[in-house]
Amino acid sequence: MTKEDTTVPKVFYTQPDGTERVVEAEVGDSVMQTAVRNGVPGILGQCGGSLSCATCHVFLDERHADDFAPVGEDEDDMLDVAATDREDNSRLSCRLVLAAGQEVRVTIPETQL
Amino acid sequence: MTTTPGTEYPFAPVPPTEAVKHLGRIIADRPMTKMTMPYGGDVWLVHRNAAAREILSDRRFVREPFRTGERVVPFFVPFPDFLRGTLQFEDPPQHTKLRKLVQKAISPKRVREMRDSAVAFANELIDGMIDRGGVRDLVPEYSLSLPIEMLSNLLGVPSSDREKFERWSSSTLAVAGKSEAEVAADMAELAAYMTDLIAERREEPRDDLLSALAHARDRDETLTDAEILPIAFILIVGGFDNTATFLSTGVLALLSDDEQRARFTADPDGLAATTAEEVLRHGGFATGRPAGGGGGLVPFVATEDVVVDGQLIAKGDAVSIDPSAAGHDPAAVTDPARFDIARPDNPHLTLSHGLHHCLGAPLARMELQVGLAELFKRIPELRLAGEPVFSRDVLTQPMTSLPVTW
Ligand code: FES
Repeated sequence: MTKEDTTVPKVFYTQPDGTERVVEAEVGDSVMQTAVRNGVPGILGQCGGSLSCATCHVFLDERHADDFAPVGEDEDDMLDVAATDREDNSRLSCRLVLAAGQEVRVTIPETQL
Repeated sequence: MTTTPGTEYPFAPVPPTEAVKHLGRIIADRPMTKMTMPYGGDVWLVHRNAAAREILSDRRFVREPFRTGERVVPFFVPFPDFLRGTLQFEDPPQHTKLRKLVQKAISPKRVREMRDSAVAFANELIDGMIDRGGVRDLVPEYSLSLPIEMLSNLLGVPSSDREKFERWSSSTLAVAGKSEAEVAADMAELAAYMTDLIAERREEPRDDLLSALAHARDRDETLTDAEILPIAFILIVGGFDNTATFLSTGVLALLSDDEQRARFTADPDGLAATTAEEVLRHGGFATGRPAGGGGGLVPFVATEDVVVDGQLIAKGDAVSIDPSAAGHDPAAVTDPARFDIARPDNPHLTLSHGLHHCLGAPLARMELQVGLAELFKRIPELRLAGEPVFSRDVLTQPMTSLPVTW
């Protein structure tokens, strides 16, 4: 029998200049919400996660590539119009919803606007 | 004897620092206040930043009853009818469909691509002012011209027609000074003009927003003129007038604060982004104009009982965000009375948040950044040459004149 994992999720945010900050998150919150709630600069999340602003763009560390649902059609469209050019590991952080025990590393792009 | 500081809301204009203190006392006292608006009845005005964000991200608050006309929008003036047909009054899924189409045209990427032309045009306008010399009026000669040019480019409106847009735009927002018949005539003229332009773009698309909308397909549906027109309207209204006022306010705020102006002129490009945010949050206060309390963004209606920050908002209640208070909430903003153009974290709600955050936000921000940076780069010795003038005849009470010299 597996015990339910109750460890709080953690997000490691790396700024474009290389500085890193670790934030403890709430299960069910997204990487965007966690950033906004904790005043992590560089993630704006203007639309509050309704997939219509592209100001929550991040680069997801390759080692977590399979930890989340793949890029959906709407996310794909918005990534195309983000202010910082999209790369293979680009995600909208409002789509990255955290589960218990999860640790996630993301890099924040140069600009969201 | 001790005096009890007031927490009444709304409150009449007082000196800006006093207004910030007053907002702070209200915020400490309660998350929101119910007030009766001159039109449309009661509305909860939400003061606290976190509570405001919560409401703006909660789909149980909708605008449907306003759009259908079932409810009158609780507001200070009769809410202009044509605005009820625009995107901001739609709820999902229609809202999502329309918004996505427009979003691509004023996306962060597209706006970044427009930046060079904004810089070039701002400099053309500055050249003109320098050539003419003497005392110049910044509002018509700079603040209004820049957004009109950008938005016309984006929409695909020919340069020769741009003057008309200024007239139409002020007419659509008129709350006084124009007869109903005059406003109706201007609105009809604008609608006819846009309808013709949309027809032209349907025939011969170009690389502009109207063409994109005229040819947009969302799954199997194509947008009708009736859907495109309100989008064009809201862009015109939001895009000219509001951005111009932000820009004029930003210039006035910097001209009113020697320390911050010196800081800005030392590094305009480096500080443009944070300065723009601080102007959005606190620019009106930083100009020294008396500030009152009693404003709100377009309201929502609760579709069920919702408790926010301990306060019950009953099903059917209207609720609106008070952006002045939310931008001066000590829980969200450090030292809220200070005009700090390098403020690193600035969670103001002037452009709203969530589903209905301002569609033109990326464009408005870029214009504000470019407009301020280029002006103070070229004319660092800019100073006031008279009193600013504000119009009470228009919904948004824009600045209509700002005499400057150097
Ligand atoms: S928060 Fe707007 S798209 Fe993610």
